[in-house]
Amino acid sequence: MVPGALLPLFLLVPTAGLHLASGGVGSGRAAGEVEFGRDVRPILTEHCFACHGPDEAAREGDLRLDEEAAARASGVFEGELVRRISLDADHPAHMPPAELGKPLTAQQVQVLTDWVAAGAPYDRHWSFRTPERPGLPEVQEHEWVRNPVDTFVLARLEEEGLAPAPEADRRSLARRLSLDLTGLPPDPAEVEAFVQDPRPDAYERLVERWLASDAWGEHRARGWLDVARYADTHGIHFDNYRDIWPYRDWVIEAFAADVPYDTFSIEQLAGDLLPEPTIPQRVATGYLRCNITTNEGGLIDEEYKVLYARDRTESFGQAWLGLTVGCAVCHDHKYDPLTQREFYGLSAYFDNTRVPIRDGNAQDPPPILRVTPPEQRARLATLTGELEAARDARAAREVSASQDLAAWLASPEAARAVERVPAGDEHLVVRAAGAGAPAQVVLEGAAREVALEEGASWEEGPSGGGLRSEGASLVLPDAGDFDTGDAFTCSAWVRLQPNDRSGALASRMDMGAAYRGWDLWLQGRRVGTHIIAAWPQQALKVVAKAQVPAERWTHVAITYDGSAKVSGVRVYYDGIEQEVNVEARGLEGSIRTAVPFRLGSRTPGNASGAAVADLRLHARVLDAGEVASLALAPLLSDAVAQGLEPLDEGTRSSLRDWWLRAVDGEWQRWDGEAQRLDGERQAIEASSPTAHVFAEAEGVPMAFVLDRGEYDRRGEQVQPGTPAFLPPMSTDAPASRLALAEWLFQDDHPLTARVAVNRFWQELFGTGLVATSGDLGLSGEFPSHPELLDWLAVEFRESGWRVKDLFRLLVTSATYRQAAGAPAAKRALDGDNRLLSRGPRFRMDAEMIRDTALAASGLLVREIGGPSVRPYQPPGVWEAVAMRESNTHTYRMDAGERLWRRSMYTLWKRAAPPASMEIFDAPNRETCAVRRIRTNTPLQALVTLNDPQFVEAARALAAQALRDHQSYAERMDAMMLGLASRPLADEELRTCGAVLADLRAHYAADPEAARALAEVGESPAAEDLPTPELAAWTMLANMLMNLDEVVTK
Amino acid sequence: MSEPGHTDPLAGVRETLTRRHFLRTGSHLLGGAALANLAAGRPLGSDALGPHFAPKAKRVIYLHMVGGPPQMDLFDPKPGMADWYDKDLPESVRNGQRLTTMTSGQARFPIAPSRFRFDRHGECGMELCELLPNLGKTADKMCFVRTVHTDAINHEPAITFLQTGNQITGRPCLGAWASYGLGSMNDDLPTFVVMVARPTNQEQMQAISARLWAAGALPGAHAGVSFRSSGDPILFLQNPDGVSDAVRRRTLDGIAALNQRLLADLGDPETRTRMEQYELAYRMQASVPELADLTTEGEHTWSLYGEEARKPGTFANSALMARRMVERGVRFVQVYHNNWDTHANVAGRLPDQCRDIDRPCHALILDLERRGLLDETLIVWGGEFGRTIYSQGGVSRENYGRDHHPRCFTMWMAGGGIRPGHIHGETDEFSYNIVRDPVNVHDLHATFLHLLGMDHERLTVRHQGLDLRLTGVEPARPIPALMA
Repeated sequence: MVPGALLPLFLLVPTAGLHLASGGVGSGRAAGEVEFGRDVRPILTEHCFACHGPDEAAREGDLRLDEEAAARASGVFEGELVRRISLDADHPAHMPPAELGKPLTAQQVQVLTDWVAAGAPYDRHWSFRTPERPGLPEVQEHEWVRNPVDTFVLARLEEEGLAPAPEADRRSLARRLSLDLTGLPPDPAEVEAFVQDPRPDAYERLVERWLASDAWGEHRARGWLDVARYADTHGIHFDNYRDIWPYRDWVIEAFAADVPYDTFSIEQLAGDLLPEPTIPQRVATGYLRCNITTNEGGLIDEEYKVLYARDRTESFGQAWLGLTVGCAVCHDHKYDPLTQREFYGLSAYFDNTRVPIRDGNAQDPPPILRVTPPEQRARLATLTGELEAARDARAAREVSASQDLAAWLASPEAARAVERVPAGDEHLVVRAAGAGAPAQVVLEGAAREVALEEGASWEEGPSGGGLRSEGASLVLPDAGDFDTGDAFTCSAWVRLQPNDRSGALASRMDMGAAYRGWDLWLQGRRVGTHIIAAWPQQALKVVAKAQVPAERWTHVAITYDGSAKVSGVRVYYDGIEQEVNVEARGLEGSIRTAVPFRLGSRTPGNASGAAVADLRLHARVLDAGEVASLALAPLLSDAVAQGLEPLDEGTRSSLRDWWLRAVDGEWQRWDGEAQRLDGERQAIEASSPTAHVFAEAEGVPMAFVLDRGEYDRRGEQVQPGTPAFLPPMSTDAPASRLALAEWLFQDDHPLTARVAVNRFWQELFGTGLVATSGDLGLSGEFPSHPELLDWLAVEFRESGWRVKDLFRLLVTSATYRQAAGAPAAKRALDGDNRLLSRGPRFRMDAEMIRDTALAASGLLVREIGGPSVRPYQPPGVWEAVAMRESNTHTYRMDAGERLWRRSMYTLWKRAAPPASMEIFDAPNRETCAVRRIRTNTPLQALVTLNDPQFVEAARALAAQALRDHQSYAERMDAMMLGLASRPLADEELRTCGAVLADLRAHYAADPEAARALAEVGESPAAEDLPTPELAAWTMLANMLMNLDEVVTK
Repeated sequence: MSEPGHTDPLAGVRETLTRRHFLRTGSHLLGGAALANLAAGRPLGSDALGPHFAPKAKRVIYLHMVGGPPQMDLFDPKPGMADWYDKDLPESVRNGQRLTTMTSGQARFPIAPSRFRFDRHGECGMELCELLPNLGKTADKMCFVRTVHTDAINHEPAITFLQTGNQITGRPCLGAWASYGLGSMNDDLPTFVVMVARPTNQEQMQAISARLWAAGALPGAHAGVSFRSSGDPILFLQNPDGVSDAVRRRTLDGIAALNQRLLADLGDPETRTRMEQYELAYRMQASVPELADLTTEGEHTWSLYGEEARKPGTFANSALMARRMVERGVRFVQVYHNNWDTHANVAGRLPDQCRDIDRPCHALILDLERRGLLDETLIVWGGEFGRTIYSQGGVSRENYGRDHHPRCFTMWMAGGGIRPGHIHGETDEFSYNIVRDPVNVHDLHATFLHLLGMDHERLTVRHQGLDLRLTGVEPARPIPALMA
């Protein structure tokens, strides 16, 4: 539905007709009585401000109506305004102009006329004034009131001539309360106990019980994760996995522990800037890392730097200020008094960061924090000291080594070392022979000449020169024919172009057969290898972290030990082993292929653009010393002949590095120690999840105003600052994110508390007191109950921002406890229940629908937190859109308990969100979402009818009922109690009984079908139950799971 | 649907389908109009929506070539470039314009003339690459725009821009706008369907994402429904194993009876909506398999589209499915075909790419025409940007690579109110800058909407206090020269 149709524009109360805010809920007032904020401002905002509002660039006729002084000075209220809006629509002077397409209704003209007649009084937009606790209104039906919430609600109902609904029955109440506080249906036993509980505070006891439950933390966290745009992949291009779930668990713990909302907010926005931040405080800043990121090949860094800061600023505006600050990216805000300059002032707080632009397609792009499990923290602390000591000793040896190196070079040992260069057992050597000549190839000891492919050419390089070509330069059908269990080494000198191209330097790989084979691979000037049986599932891919310098001959090597493991792969630059990123792990099956070995490319055309010289293959692993010797051979012979003196510093340094590694016992001892300790540290880290954290960069935060928001059109430079229309930051506050976060919680801040309270209200009642919960600004809706909103905001602030206290207050109100049913006559007066004349009732969120099925059927695994899981999902959802290279290309379903975790733990891939949740209107988790739109589509019915997750749950629910109860009626009731917290009425029992009779007859006659149905899902089939019987009951459970009542709260 | 004096080309198909459903389900719970509204999520009585004037096109088939096809190798011949082989692109042509960081570090920008021959086709004389012989036969039915230009230079923002009018993710896409503006034309299929075709060659596939067919600020019911080539064509369409149609019908009747009781009890109209939702789901369970069942296609279909069209997931198959969909009243069909990102190996890859699309595109145009549907169906073909005349990496006469190029590229349209046999705009001798008649993406979108009978300035949705529209905030206008 369109927003306009979601909201009741007109209530059919005679006196209320004139006073309707745009999209808002009017309240009854006598004709002629006009309130600016409620009645007039929405009309001006919608129909006038586009040309006569805050945006200077768009202003017409030098008239602005948004500022009282300017409007008065213009004299427009002395007849002109009323005259112009009262003219015939086709009159040229008519306002608003026809081409705006927003004509005023007769009623709106009347409101403006009345307003001008009353002297055109302005007042400040309601949400920009600091809320004050209003007095409680007078009401008639005092007995109905349970707490102040009810007083406000009742006053409004009485004003409209409506009476509240009676209190809901205990079963409905228990179910509603459980779903609202825990996101799960209540256990039938809990419901029964409550129904039977004669104590006057039975309901309050239930409230306390569920507020204290683990599920409370999870359910509240789920709502916040929409706001935080939490997801498990980067979002753009590769859309690889990111290991950010510790932030999600921090949110759960924060709600569970009832961390006050101010602390909760400040730690997420600026936990890193708190004095000596704790690990959880830093983990909280994961909020600022949740934005979508990219690593696309050709990206321009500044463009994304700007986008990231903009997203953080817009999310901040939505989540805490309830304002659409993003509207001021390109120009001053059209409605709110927020200038473009002020937008960039806000964005400056979020832009001074050490978070790199490119996510590296890595699961742990920096800055990160390893959250070490408590039991390993002590060892990690001592380990760090020992590791430093070993590294210091190693470094000291590097300094003191020069003397010994010089002596060694003069010794006979050095001469022998020159000969240590592995020679004679090469599988393949390719050498240059000069311009225009064929290559000199030695394959298994047999020398021959091989003609170059077309387009290949020689250039100056080591060992006689290098080959450069756009395609393959050399093709050898009988070289490099290794299998998975074979060890081999591939080494060469390379000279790279200064670009980020990817391609193979050498390969034996069949691209048409799932890339079977191996290569020496280049990717963004990083060298590595693919060893592939079938890409990407059956493959190893290891790439060095460091880049090879461009335009400089560098020796590179990869070694593989035939183990089919990534730990068996090493990468060397100039003889020095490199740290690597693992991009694929899990090789099984053969890598042998009939395609030839190619130098310079994997296919005839896909070139890396690099020059390659002195390529060698060994059918064994060369050790680090041997690789270093290969790399250093030319230098070493020079040094032995001439000594160190004539060599330049770079060469000497390379030589020293090699000597330390290959010859020097002392260095090797310290290095071995450092490596052992580092290995231990890495093992601890590997078992420690990664938290993505935010970190401030050096220097002072600032930003540029960007013309039309474009990254390359920089205007004025601005300092961090908050908008002028909001209370100033206390003057001694530094220009930091921490100060910004603390500013939100100043006592005079008008927005923070209202925005939070309104959003929490929305979680319970389906719609906020301000329906536009992301926009409390001028174009947002006027509150349905402004005094109530203010009262709650002040209460929330003064009670120390306690979320549980707020929820306790709301759910114990008589307002919340009303029955949801209403006769048609009453519905006609309060169609969408904005007046709260009955209890809340609306279709549950995707997660709650699935969790209800799991909980009622007993399948739900109630484990809190941990890595995200991959439950059932039809094949092809990820594969259809993901890049082959993405590590979230192939959906591998989990097994066992991970299939039945709460839905909030389902791995969220941004390019292809969990299919069944997306169908139920889950937001995309790419940008901040403060409310979910609820639609009804046939695809949703197909999910709950046919998704194996739901069919399996139906079977489990049926099996449970069959085992625990004897009579049909008891069994049916048991299922309904689990799903809807009530037994079936007689008439319903008859309906179900008739369906069941047909189903039983059907499955008794078709045992094959019964078996097929009973086998849906991974949980073990119920062997103890007759299959046709189980099948019939499964379909009955499936039917009940699809009732409107069951998918609705 | 049908205007006086015209026969509705779909009447036959629709009648058959409706009659069968009627027979199968016994009765409709509700009238077709209500169901159609539910299908598209379009409220009754809303006056903000189109069509605003008589449409030329009622349906769209949008064929997006992911990666960015090289315009100078396919549609925009530059024979003069032969003399420029391996010479540097003059700085005066590039004129400081930005490049991707994949080639911005290159020392040289050597020009790579197209290695392909161009042939002249039809009365319009459109010159097409030798790899597109079939498409040439329908050149006079097509409108070629050689001067589309975009703001984005990398894939993600560029595809997002072409599909949603904004480089930043989160806005509604074209198909969602069409669904929102015009609603459904059928009562048992989705309004907006997306197919991701599998290219034969998969050398350099680019990312796409479900966000490209999301509804953005529009209600979720306007999002594209993914029509899949394996498994259920539509997610969760099929009954579980062991559940027959009769069992499903019986349980749905049970659901309806219990919901009816609840409706009487609580009086919540939402319950009625739920009942409609389930009946529509049931009807889709029959109509979608019928749609996907190609056994009813005759020999002439296979001789037209080729045998490839029999293989689920190929582009040819998607083209045929697209025809079947519009025939059954799907409003907007979006097809993605990947692997056009030719940073290297243009010579090796382009033949495969063209073989995938040449015959099916030609077939689709002819097929729709024969069935009387072409006049009302707008076909759009194009990528997210073009490619550079200079080579990425080295160049040879035989092979070369090309980087992204946003400053000009070719798209073509057919059917639904476009000006047939028209070649629009001109690029410079390097196919680098536009010389005449530039077409920006927003104008192109405004043109599509115009053909659909909608004023792009009036097709809006209120979002965060603004009236959001496909064509953005800067003035945009439909281009008369592209329309008949």
